[in-house]
Amino acid sequence: MRSARASPRSAITASRGRGIRMNYPVWDVAFGAGLLIAIVAIVHVFISHFAVGGGLFLVVTEIKARRSQDAALLDWLKQHTRFFVLVTVVLGVVTGVGIWFTIGLIAPTATSDLIHIYVWGWAIEWVFFFIEITAALFYMYGWDKLEARVHQWYGWVYFGAAYMSLVVINGIITFMLTSGSWVKNHRFWMGFFNPTYFPSLLLRSAIAFALAGLYALITASVQKDAALKARIVRWSALWIVPSMAVMPLFGWWYIRRVPAAVWASARGPMPTGTEFAGLTVVFLAVTFALALLSLARPGRIPLAFSVVVLLAALGAMGSFEFVRESIRDPYVIENYLYANSIYVNPAPGDGGFDMSAVQNAGILQTARWIDVRTLNQDNQAVAGREIFRVDCESCHTANAYRGLKHYIELRQWDENDIQAMLGGLDLMHNGVMPPFAGTDAERGALAAYLYSIAPIAPGASLPADGKTVFERKCSMCHEDKPSDPLFENLPKDPQTMAAALQSLSSLFPLMPDLQLNDRERTMLAQWVNTQRGAQTSAALEGGN
Amino acid sequence: MMQPSLIPAPDPNPLPAPYWVFAVLLVTTFILHIVAMNFMLGGGVMALVAKWRSKDREIGNRVFIDLAKKLPVLLPATITLGIAPLLFVQVLYGQFFYTSSVLMAWPWLLVLVCLTVAYYGFYYASFKGGQRPGRAGAVILGSIVLVFLIGFMLSNNITLSQTPQIWGRKYFADPAGWNLNLTDPSLFPRYLHFMVAALALGGLLVVFMALANWKRDNAYARQLLQFGGKGFMYATMAQVVEGVLFLVSLPSGLRLLFLGNDPVATMLFLIGILGSIASIVLMAEALRKEDIRMAAYHVPAIIAVVIVCMATMRDMLRNAYLAPYFRPGDLAVRTQWTVFPVFLGVFAAGAIFWFVMIVRYRKHAADHGQLRASKASEAAG
Repeated sequence: MRSARASPRSAITASRGRGIRMNYPVWDVAFGAGLLIAIVAIVHVFISHFAVGGGLFLVVTEIKARRSQDAALLDWLKQHTRFFVLVTVVLGVVTGVGIWFTIGLIAPTATSDLIHIYVWGWAIEWVFFFIEITAALFYMYGWDKLEARVHQWYGWVYFGAAYMSLVVINGIITFMLTSGSWVKNHRFWMGFFNPTYFPSLLLRSAIAFALAGLYALITASVQKDAALKARIVRWSALWIVPSMAVMPLFGWWYIRRVPAAVWASARGPMPTGTEFAGLTVVFLAVTFALALLSLARPGRIPLAFSVVVLLAALGAMGSFEFVRESIRDPYVIENYLYANSIYVNPAPGDGGFDMSAVQNAGILQTARWIDVRTLNQDNQAVAGREIFRVDCESCHTANAYRGLKHYIELRQWDENDIQAMLGGLDLMHNGVMPPFAGTDAERGALAAYLYSIAPIAPGASLPADGKTVFERKCSMCHEDKPSDPLFENLPKDPQTMAAALQSLSSLFPLMPDLQLNDRERTMLAQWVNTQRGAQTSAALEGGN
Repeated sequence: MMQPSLIPAPDPNPLPAPYWVFAVLLVTTFILHIVAMNFMLGGGVMALVAKWRSKDREIGNRVFIDLAKKLPVLLPATITLGIAPLLFVQVLYGQFFYTSSVLMAWPWLLVLVCLTVAYYGFYYASFKGGQRPGRAGAVILGSIVLVFLIGFMLSNNITLSQTPQIWGRKYFADPAGWNLNLTDPSLFPRYLHFMVAALALGGLLVVFMALANWKRDNAYARQLLQFGGKGFMYATMAQVVEGVLFLVSLPSGLRLLFLGNDPVATMLFLIGILGSIASIVLMAEALRKEDIRMAAYHVPAIIAVVIVCMATMRDMLRNAYLAPYFRPGDLAVRTQWTVFPVFLGVFAAGAIFWFVMIVRYRKHAADHGQLRASKASEAAG
């Protein structure tokens, strides 16, 4: 029977199931909205930290050059100032506005929250920013027009204002990761001076001062005068080496202040967080090593070398931002807003977009920008696609960036598996995803859609051993290590274990209702016991 | 059951200060932004006109280079001053602004690309303009075209954000963010209204340059005055006609607000029109008498009043567009008393400090210039 809810608008576009993200329309980015934010953000932070540290570098280097009456160094610094302004005041500023534009398009709810909670923070930052930009231009144009003392005064003003804008923005950025007691009391300063505020400020300061030296290598390397080049490279190393040396300390403090549960998702089986944490360390080590290497022949480093060093630093910075973003999951604002723009807890004025309201009413009934409101046997995949766009597209695509087709094909899930797994989303990967936001029927529809994009090919191989069963069906939540509940809690006897695996939810009430057949259960039980032996011997060798 | 409205619910976090505080900040910072933008865009156009339409080639090139050097400062001023109204518009009208942005996501992001390229173009022309004036002209033309394009995107976004009744049709036809708002009859008149205003203020910028040169190089300054003053007059005449077109293009209910239905709106409109006409007459008089004070003080004073009226009307027009759906004055308020005064303090101190920076630069740059000049003459003597 045709639903009475069908609207004139759905008649216009009935052939296409176009969706929504809850309160706001979703913007279809074929290659992945998350990737777009990442690109804009990484370019911006790589420049904006330079804008802070580079400011101090300019004025201190000017003082040094004048004291030592080093005219060549002063001439270079003048060129370097122009480079600094062209990079920071143009590209830095435009990409800064760019982040605003991009997050407003992709995560409007979160952007709106951050604007409303912190508008006075943003406004204060804007005052410093305005002074910063003005001072930068005066510093650049003042090289030939001002006496040294006054010129340096503008340099100091620039650095002071730039650092103050870091001081302000840092409060808002860290608030997203560790919202502190703000969630309970909604007090501005409680969220601002949150648990990671100070370690992040120190870490970012160190990054800023290291980048000041790293960027200087670029303009140094194009100098013809080898002696001058050597002086600049050695001077830059004085910025890079100590700053990078203290980074592990501040990084360690930062990690310590991130709640264990939040950090767990980066350490655990979640591939993105772990991989990028590793990459950060590798890139930092490479940058550090190359910076030291530049000291071997400081008068002869070519531009290509400086570019490689800077790219390594970009790699480190980008990986760090990826870690920060991925450990923040499943939230955009910790304990307040999920990554898919659904509020964690009901609050006045939330428009019914909190998790429990959506789970009760159903997402197809809650979301605004949607033209499929009904769910029946005939439209499962179409409605499922709508649900996918609302619930999942803020982080995933069907077949590109974080594409689910790939994940599902890798694990060879059938529709029932998918539906069961969707019931335990919040347990996957140490809790990196929010719970499924919708009713059970909607979960079925989403599973139908996901299966339609990644169907099991006829004649596809069945799992040949217990390891494959584990990887396909268990590894989303469990790890191959002795402390994992799977190895700790399952009975030792293979037959008892296989029997226990018949009903997962009776083993642990939060487990998804996944059905394993007899063969799978037997193979899994054998493998679990084999692994227990292997884990014990590995532990004895000090491994794992 | 009815479909829920497409208009997103306002943010659950209450306004951290009363509505009127944000309304005042929004209109004030918008005025600063639009003035900087007008100087930048109008200055760029005037530079090109001077270069390519001037009978005296030498003077034309000189005006061109003098203006070109200002563009790399006026563009960051425009951006920096634009950030504040962008912030406050999101505070008051976020649910409208984000939605219209999503509908035209790609053109909206294109603004950033245009901005970057235009910006580097201005820097190129400023640094190399003396050595390669021909190429610098072409580069500025390219940058100016991009800035015109940015203005067009902004007009699209703002008009789209004010007409939620057409969102659904646009979005469900194209959720990939390639929409514009070309079917809105007020789009082009509105866009032109802002662009022509920029030309007029570009003329005033040249008049200010005349003022700065009045004592130092009077002959050049007189030429600047004539050139800038004429530019201002012609653009303002066009603007009066264009403004009427814009008014006609508005839906009748909104149009009538300015034609008697709303006394405040009508008064602002009258002041705006009469002020514009008065400024044309006064500028004509100033040009005839070569009276730089009249051109550089009295006319801008009138124009400042006109701009304040126009910006206030723009805000009233937005609220009138949205009145069937939303009144920002109804938003819940919980003033953040622990932060709001901090902002006011930082803002006041920042504004004073900013002026100190400007004054200090002017003073020392001039002193230092004189010092170097006297040293040079001593050396020569």
